[in-house]
Amino acid sequence: MATAQQLMVGMADIKTAKSGATFTCLGLGSCIGLAAFDRESGVAGMIHIMLPEAFKDKPVEKAGKFADTGIVAMLDEMFRLGANPSRLVMAYAGGAQVFKFGNPSSTTLDVGLRNSAAVEKILKAKGFRVLGIDIGGPNGRTVTYEQATGIIKVRTVNGGEKVLCNLKG
Amino acid sequence: MSMSPRNYGLMEMSAVKEVANIGLGHATTALSELTGHSFNMDIPEVEAVALEKIPETIGDAMELFAGVYMPFEGDVEGHMAFVFPWPSAVQLWTWLLGSAPDGPEAVDELAASAMLEVGNILNSNFLNAISNMTNLSMHATPPLVSIDLGYSMVASIVANAEMQDVVALAVETRIFDLPTGATTGYFLCIPTRAGLDLILSRLGVLEVA
Repeated sequence: MATAQQLMVGMADIKTAKSGATFTCLGLGSCIGLAAFDRESGVAGMIHIMLPEAFKDKPVEKAGKFADTGIVAMLDEMFRLGANPSRLVMAYAGGAQVFKFGNPSSTTLDVGLRNSAAVEKILKAKGFRVLGIDIGGPNGRTVTYEQATGIIKVRTVNGGEKVLCNLKG
Repeated sequence: MSMSPRNYGLMEMSAVKEVANIGLGHATTALSELTGHSFNMDIPEVEAVALEKIPETIGDAMELFAGVYMPFEGDVEGHMAFVFPWPSAVQLWTWLLGSAPDGPEAVDELAASAMLEVGNILNSNFLNAISNMTNLSMHATPPLVSIDLGYSMVASIVANAEMQDVVALAVETRIFDLPTGATTGYFLCIPTRAGLDLILSRLGVLEVA
């Protein structure tokens, strides 16, 4: 058995693997970490989404930065590794508002909320099965997804670590 | 008039650093007066390419931080923040309040408001210095405080700035106490593209597109 390959999924990154990877999205604030798995081929992927949609007037330099361009790009990569996009299962976490002290002015957008709404809308439109969701609230999250076991864990600064779901069922 | 996609030139970039340097000089002096301990800073750096890389540049970003975030408005608008690694935040609290919270879950209103005050003082001194130099109005909106991983809070600030405004670059630097250097903080400023153009044109260094 090969040892697990550690894949750090930094902001705007997309990582995919055929087998044996452990994906980590460290320090999700308003960002969203989305994990996807194909139970037949075993192919898995994870994306660290920063914003809900690409700007109309700017070229997209990194597809993974935005929910709309990023999810499509991750599906393409997984497809090339042999996954069938129509049978993927998914889970996601993040979308927090970590600046919890003070009075936010009306001009401060809740990016986390918008990211969550964008991801939900895209996954619903594509008809994916979503097995776990942990979004919103005042605490940042670190999400790890172990491909071999399917287990997704969420850790926060205050609340310790909990299992969100198992993508293997 | 459409926004030029061109990048800033060398002269403009060095002017940005110089402006930030002057603003930060005033901010660190104010922090020294507030805490009774001297502070100095590194030369500011400018990230103009991949703003999503910024959270990785603030020291050990996967550790616990206390941070204060302040959007600013006026002729020049943008987003600025000071974030402190937890041990440095504890030192600041001890200097200001005589004691510090035991851990992140113990941060109460008093500790949070002390951090808000640190933010207010750093922010207003930074903005006033640049405002006086350029004769452009810049004023702070109420600060917000977070106790979380450095990566989580800085990523959230960058996302908020990119979502809300057309931004071209971020200025960042490290501040530290003298003589020990044990108490450190990281400064981040993301001005809007339009605001930055205004500053550069007031200083006579905006190159014609």
